[in-house]
Amino acid sequence: MSVAQPQAAIAAPAAQPLSVVLEDIVQEYPLPGGGCTRVIDRVSLRFDQPGINMLLGPSGCGKSTLLHMLGGVRPLGVVSPSGGRVLIDGVECQGPHDDAVMVFQRYANRPDLTVFDNVAFPFRLRLWRERVAEAEWRQRVEDILKAVGLSDKRGLRPAQLSGGQNQRVALARALVLRPRILLMDEPFGALDAQTRDEMQRLLIELHRSWPCLVVFVTHDVTEALVLGDRVIVLGTQPARVADDFQISEPRPRSPAWQRARDTLALEERILDQLHQASPGKGQIRVTV
Amino acid sequence: MSEFWNPYAALAGRQRRLLGVAAVAALLLLWSLLAASGLVSATKLPAPWDVLAALAYLSWHEGQSMLLTATLWSVGRLLVAGALVIAIGIPVGIAMGAAPRVNAVLSPLVDPFRSAPVVALLPILVMWLGIGETMKIVFLFIGAVVYLIPMVRDAIQAVPQSYWIGARDLGATPWECVQRAVIPMAMPRIADAVIVGFSVMWTYITVAEYVNARQGLGQLIQNARRFSAWDQVFAGIMVIIALALATYQFMVWLKRRLYPWETEQ
Repeated sequence: MSVAQPQAAIAAPAAQPLSVVLEDIVQEYPLPGGGCTRVIDRVSLRFDQPGINMLLGPSGCGKSTLLHMLGGVRPLGVVSPSGGRVLIDGVECQGPHDDAVMVFQRYANRPDLTVFDNVAFPFRLRLWRERVAEAEWRQRVEDILKAVGLSDKRGLRPAQLSGGQNQRVALARALVLRPRILLMDEPFGALDAQTRDEMQRLLIELHRSWPCLVVFVTHDVTEALVLGDRVIVLGTQPARVADDFQISEPRPRSPAWQRARDTLALEERILDQLHQASPGKGQIRVTV
Repeated sequence: MSEFWNPYAALAGRQRRLLGVAAVAALLLLWSLLAASGLVSATKLPAPWDVLAALAYLSWHEGQSMLLTATLWSVGRLLVAGALVIAIGIPVGIAMGAAPRVNAVLSPLVDPFRSAPVVALLPILVMWLGIGETMKIVFLFIGAVVYLIPMVRDAIQAVPQSYWIGARDLGATPWECVQRAVIPMAMPRIADAVIVGFSVMWTYITVAEYVNARQGLGQLIQNARRFSAWDQVFAGIMVIIALALATYQFMVWLKRRLYPWETEQ
């Protein structure tokens, strides 16, 4: 009997070239009294390296809206984006994209399904049923449950799990599809500090064995510094790119690194950028 | 001892049952006293023991049970009408809840009937369908389905949009979202609608069986009334109440078995 290694649990993504481009994105919402308000103003971003990309900005700055555009989940009743284009591998993206899977802050786990069935849910849909044979997806679900540490909870329902365990289910459901693009919308925002730390470490581990392109929205400066290969700082009302830099420190990043002078300087720089771009508006968080 | 005014304090099961039994016993006692005192004539209010005797008589007399026959007929009609309510009402309600255009077309046709006097439709149904079984079944069906359809629609619309978005993001087609995410999440409330539907049908069963009834509990009551056998009328009403309660309890139990996750939330 062989014991599957976590590394072997999920195979590395095929080395296909990947390109995600946001081109001159503008988003406007109609105001109740007439006219409209611009929440995103000419944002252009390009992602072509697998890695963890942090979209950092104050709450309500429009970063989730940007992420949803990448996932193809568009708000109802509003043209989105109002201007500009989203291109995945050079093709304009107009609906949910097969290669991009989202993880929401409010884990959309189904209360009526067990952990196993929640993770296997995509394979009940025709799209994935036709692509992945049953024997294979069952194995994939087993493997990913092991990788997120929920093998022994497979028969429980979400109400019987903690917040962190629920978010593990959501993460597993996304990764079981082996997406090239993983979109995370403040996934750990509702968790307590200790659980958030655990989840960040889990994400780092999972990303090591499945190095896809992650776009991760957060309003937590510390989270951005702990996780990001690249940090994109967004100002608010309307959202513009205020800063965009790489962090080369390998993960996991030690508490010593987090307290190092360079890191604190970086943090200072981000906070400055945010204050310049959005004086007195919105909320950001620093959890060191 | 918990506070008297406190909507969130759950009573211990024993205390709750004790209070309930005491209330029923008090009513029976009051009824017995009234009947025994002679203040109210027996032709207007039969004594509890007379009703009990009538119940025994109806249950078994000269080798046959009128009550059982009548009950089987009534339950049979209810089940046929109930099956139709479920088979037609639930899909219509789901379509209305999940497709705004269907709702826009059907809601002006369905919603007004919720407050319409369904009993007043009976003569019209008799005119159209005659006085046979079809009329009775259709009457029960209409009576229940006008409640069920809007409830099913509301159950569908009460499902948080996040489940729809989540499924959509995973590559579900819009219909798959409805089928795989929205309907399963709405099932407990749809079950509630079915339970209400059956309760409504029990209240209408006597009306349905008043017209040209040869069999059924409604007929039994109607027949007893004609001969001023008020003890039998009371007995018949009590049997209907008991059956309606049993149906309700059974369906609530079934719902908890089928959707245990609902109460875990």
